[in-house]
Amino acid sequence: MHQTQYPRQAGSEQRPLFEIRSLSYRYPDGQPALREIDLTIHEGDRVALVGHNGAGKTTLIKHLGGLYRPQQGTVLYKGIPLEGNILDTVRLEVGILFQDPDDQLFCNTLYEDIAFGPMNQRLEQEEVDHRVRHAVRKVALETVLYKAPHHLSYGQKKRAALAAVLSMRPQVLILDEPTANLDSRQERLFWELFQDFPGTLIVISHDLAFMYGICDRAVVLEQGKIHHDYVMKELVSQRAYLRAHGLDFTFRFDTHAHPHASPEGHSHRHMNSVGHSDTHSHPYPDLHSHSEEHIEEAPTFPSRSSRSEDEKEGSAALSSIPDISKEDIPSTLLLLHDYSYRYPDGTWGLRNVSFTVREGENVAIVGENGAGKSTLARCLMGIIAGMGRHELDGKPITPKNRSDLWRHLGMVFQNPSDQLFCPSCQEEVAFGPRQMGLPPEEVKLRTKEALEAVRLTGYEHRVPHHLSAGERKRLAIAAVLGMKPRVLILDEPTAHLDQRSEELLVEILQRLDITKILISHDMPLIMALCRRTVVLHEGKIIRDYESAELQHDEHLISINGLDYTYKNACCREIMALQQDFEAGQSR
Amino acid sequence: MEMKPSVEIIQLPLSFLLLGLSALVVTWLLCFRLLKAFSASKSSGSSSPTSQSYTGSETEKDWTLPSMDSHAHRDSLFHRWDPRIKLLSLFVYIFCVASITQVPTACIALLSAIGSVAAAHIPFRHPLRRLAAMGGFLGMLLLIMPLTAPAKQGDTLVVFQHLSFMTFNFRGFLLALLICLKASAIALMMEPLLGTSPFSITIHALARLGVPQQVCQMILLTHRYIFVFFHEMKRMNAGMKARGFRNKTNIETVRTLGNFVGMLMVHSFERTQRVYEAMTARGYNGTLPDYISFQALQQDWIKGAFWIILGVVLVGMDRLW
Repeated sequence: MHQTQYPRQAGSEQRPLFEIRSLSYRYPDGQPALREIDLTIHEGDRVALVGHNGAGKTTLIKHLGGLYRPQQGTVLYKGIPLEGNILDTVRLEVGILFQDPDDQLFCNTLYEDIAFGPMNQRLEQEEVDHRVRHAVRKVALETVLYKAPHHLSYGQKKRAALAAVLSMRPQVLILDEPTANLDSRQERLFWELFQDFPGTLIVISHDLAFMYGICDRAVVLEQGKIHHDYVMKELVSQRAYLRAHGLDFTFRFDTHAHPHASPEGHSHRHMNSVGHSDTHSHPYPDLHSHSEEHIEEAPTFPSRSSRSEDEKEGSAALSSIPDISKEDIPSTLLLLHDYSYRYPDGTWGLRNVSFTVREGENVAIVGENGAGKSTLARCLMGIIAGMGRHELDGKPITPKNRSDLWRHLGMVFQNPSDQLFCPSCQEEVAFGPRQMGLPPEEVKLRTKEALEAVRLTGYEHRVPHHLSAGERKRLAIAAVLGMKPRVLILDEPTAHLDQRSEELLVEILQRLDITKILISHDMPLIMALCRRTVVLHEGKIIRDYESAELQHDEHLISINGLDYTYKNACCREIMALQQDFEAGQSR
Repeated sequence: MEMKPSVEIIQLPLSFLLLGLSALVVTWLLCFRLLKAFSASKSSGSSSPTSQSYTGSETEKDWTLPSMDSHAHRDSLFHRWDPRIKLLSLFVYIFCVASITQVPTACIALLSAIGSVAAAHIPFRHPLRRLAAMGGFLGMLLLIMPLTAPAKQGDTLVVFQHLSFMTFNFRGFLLALLICLKASAIALMMEPLLGTSPFSITIHALARLGVPQQVCQMILLTHRYIFVFFHEMKRMNAGMKARGFRNKTNIETVRTLGNFVGMLMVHSFERTQRVYEAMTARGYNGTLPDYISFQALQQDWIKGAFWIILGVVLVGMDRLW
């Protein structure tokens, strides 16, 4: 039996803010988006809207914000139906932060964007100015107040979009994937702002650990219906509930929250801003050509057999990472030495980067937004060219053969829509092999194999643009796998994916026997896929060590603000709740 | 009976033609080098990764046109000018320049435009890159018009030895030169006109001058989203190149480009919808809020009068020359 009524405390004096009765909505193509929704949200509620991609979450919040008119049923705001003139009032009292900040920053300077809402609220010029400056201070963007939005980084745009909403001082704040693609520093800033928000909060996110810290109520949507209406703690503490709704995210932090002690005798190398290294040993003594001269003691790689039983159990996902012993260190596949890249506007994207990837190795690249991660990937791919030594299989990459790198390296972009342009999935996957000049039979075979590998068999004739976010991501991977690259570069592969899609994606990636370079802010994913992590900061490599060490690297916070500890704390708290619950059940 | 126009014909050896063409190529190369030098000097402002090893010579060149209002924060006579009067008077002046018919007057207009750019404290690399963008078109005009202009009475034709089928019409050359000079003068005037106030303020000033609100909103949104679509296009292009796409002259390329353009349009259409929703969610109801107040001072009117008078004087000189 589903619990669809939030257990509100008796005698609660909070007024109902939104009352949704039998709300149904169909998209213009006739597909149902919402079905018979009944939901009441009171003033001061902090609601997490969870569910799979395509469950109807965004459509529901657009009704709450007065952007969509109900086709069936009613939506009441403070007891008044959302129609006619009341819509103008609601839009000024309900602030919505949309997924893509470029949609929300439509003016030509940040100041105008942030002032847009207050101006529409017909406030005095001085008050508008005060609000703009206050909001911009809250999101720490004072220095770019008069810049055009297209000159800002993604993280800055996301913060600017939030400032544009906060400046309206909304009574209700609705957030659609507020922290997707943000680094942990900015994620934390958002988390603190939302915690301090005094009004009603409605959040859509696939990151339950993030929402756990700011929401006390969880509404589960499935196929356009409200499936459950929980107390947040109740939802996250019971794995059975999470599993039933496909929201079991604990697979992510089986490794993440697990208190990995740094393996005995293991140490790492810190590179300071001028490229010097501190004295630390490394599990891969020969994996990084640039580091040889700096490593003072011969490190030993902690073999899996030497690990404690407890560690083995807790690190189920790590078991898929191939061990690399000192004896069979594979050959260098990719090398960048003293490599720099400068953007056309003169700013440095990469500075004196030395980076090596061995055959079969899985490497994670982390760093704050704008640290140069994607630039590094694009340089490796040969999409852009900088200065310095670039080698593949020991052969130097020259301007002449750079254009052939695509035959050996495949890249899955952050947004799969950037690389999907064919009218069907089959054509999409066949595109790469066709460009390679393969015979039609081989193209057909590769297409079939690639679609199978990402579990998209049967999707051959479907339109890529109509697939869900998770399916599109897998299709983008298939499109690359069809070319059988030697290295797969993945840029933020789990952004905007629901738990089910993410779990499937991780499973697929773990099975792929290929060299992988993973760019991500997602610690659990890194822990699940990569043994080695490289940390970039302002275009330089500042760390190159075992992934497990990243979580305990307190110096990182002071260098680039990357702070995974608060998320770890959330994860630990949730796991403790689950253990308490399971212990109670067994008694 | 067909009347043959009386024209003056000058016969020149072939070497003169080769010399002229060489001069044209050398000039073009010099301009190219000058632009490169400007780009390098711009980049050298940022620190190099290690001062001794890199000069930045291998970095990606930026051939994109500079953003229109990137120097709007500076201070000059043009920056301190009420944008409404500036727009109105400079527009009248530009109209006067466009109606010039004599090369010497066009030269004066060009010199005054160069002086204006200097007075507006705008680095010359910006207008030069704009001129470079026009350069190909203007260069072709200089080459083609003298060779194709039909001979009229009183024209001077230059005929080269051994190439009697090709006549160089001096009137055509002067006409091409006049167009080049006027186009350059007007392009240069765009800097003080549009580059000395933030773009949105310029558009608000246009609205105050009577340009319909809808048109102004469309210009503002176009200016903002042209960059978003451009970046989207670049990302998609990178995605295609990463899977081996290269432009070729075959049907496969045409089909792929068709898919690319189609997908770009689908993305654009969807974004338009989302932007409209985001605007509505923050209270947009058809008009953009106007938070700018303009105040015209006496000096603004004086500046306006100066430019209008200069325009009229130029036209007068042109007609009396």
